[in-house]
Amino acid sequence: MTAIEMDGLRKSYKGGNAVDGVSLKVERGEIFGIAGPNGAGKTTIVECASGLRRRDGGTLRVLGLDPQSDRRELLQRIGVQLQEAALPDAIKVDEALRMYASLYTKPADWRELMGEWGLTDKRRASFASLSGGWKQRLFIALALVGNPELVFLDELTTGLDPSARRTTWGLIREMRERGITVVLVTHFMDEAEALCDRIAIIDRGRVIAEGSPRELITQGRSDSLEDAYFALTGRGTA
Amino acid sequence: MNGITNVIAVELKLIMRDPMSAFFALAFPLIMLWVKLRTGKPLPGGLPAVDATVPMLSVFVIGLAALVILPATLAGYRERRVLKRLRATPASPTLLFGAQWVAHMLLAALGTMLLIVVGLIGYGLTAPANVGGVLLAWTLGALSLSSIGLLVGGLVPSGRAATVVGLGLFFPMGFLSGAIIPRETMSESMRAIGDLTPMAPAVRAIRDGWVGDAMSPVTLGLMAAIFVVAGGVAVRAFRW
Repeated sequence: MTAIEMDGLRKSYKGGNAVDGVSLKVERGEIFGIAGPNGAGKTTIVECASGLRRRDGGTLRVLGLDPQSDRRELLQRIGVQLQEAALPDAIKVDEALRMYASLYTKPADWRELMGEWGLTDKRRASFASLSGGWKQRLFIALALVGNPELVFLDELTTGLDPSARRTTWGLIREMRERGITVVLVTHFMDEAEALCDRIAIIDRGRVIAEGSPRELITQGRSDSLEDAYFALTGRGTA
Repeated sequence: MNGITNVIAVELKLIMRDPMSAFFALAFPLIMLWVKLRTGKPLPGGLPAVDATVPMLSVFVIGLAALVILPATLAGYRERRVLKRLRATPASPTLLFGAQWVAHMLLAALGTMLLIVVGLIGYGLTAPANVGGVLLAWTLGALSLSSIGLLVGGLVPSGRAATVVGLGLFFPMGFLSGAIIPRETMSESMRAIGDLTPMAPAVRAIRDGWVGDAMSPVTLGLMAAIFVVAGGVAVRAFRW
């Protein structure tokens, strides 16, 4: 079963990063990585697929739906964590979860979710008082509160310290174990290598390589995905 | 509790938790009431000062909630991508927009109720002669001023800029329209200028209803028109 079928996606806008004919297929139940340098168009791809942006061209089916014409229905079935998105400073953890749960027709039990993601002790903490790692935990819980089949995570671990990053990796693997399809946008190659079943490397709005971490490493004639990434994108460390 | 009432309830709590908003909408108008009624002299024409001041300050409260706090909340949320995250849920954008608006109007209602209670207990406020008329005028005043607030919140790039623009609209309007200084004590020319501001119809209609004078349909229609035009533009121009 296919979660996302994207064929020739195009999007250009002023002040943003264009996407120029991206084709991707994400299977259900996998962790699919979208990697690439800053400004490559990764976020635009995710925003088009989650119905937050209108595409200029190409065909796109997400869970069998068109993100533009079936936007509301799609948003009932997916979860989203957006890059640099925030909550109001004064909102408490339990208030945020309860409020977001109330926006879905078939939400998860938010109290249970709060327990599963270790947030119960922080339930009365305000968003502003949470450290980066706890904020990300809350964002993951919010992405899951609608009982989604597919979750988009955009640079979830950026700005986290190494231990919080490792904890987050465990949380993402846990999502896959529950049968949720995960699309993970990242620019950390170690993260993509450790977590993803398949990865697309995007540069200047195009897919320049796609495959499992192992395949990409072979393709780039390298020892690690990071070296393969430099070989494939032609961007050096100098 | 359904989604939108939940958003409204949380939003109202957030406003009340913000010390600036709570002070401006709830405490500041009471301080104004105390300052204005210290001398206690009746107005020219013999109306007890409190019977003019409470209706006037109810518009002052609406103005603060609608023109200062509402735009600052909306612009701040956009700046920090709070709205964008909410937009990635199945909730309808119009309802999310509406929830913000209702929460801020509830704040104005709370502030107004406080003024009335303190007026009744502390200053012998006379109950409104035309309760239905006062409610109608208050609601139309809140709708018209908050649609201007939504417009500011929709167009201004940051929370800080929204506060500057909001205060820049609120204080001149407040002084000229008779929400702070009684219209009876203003000069003819000041009143004429004040009548051009969208706050003036609210002040006139609420005061007329309070003492039982006939409310002008033109005044009420003017507020409805401001609501429809500014509100329509605000919804269309709003950027998430």
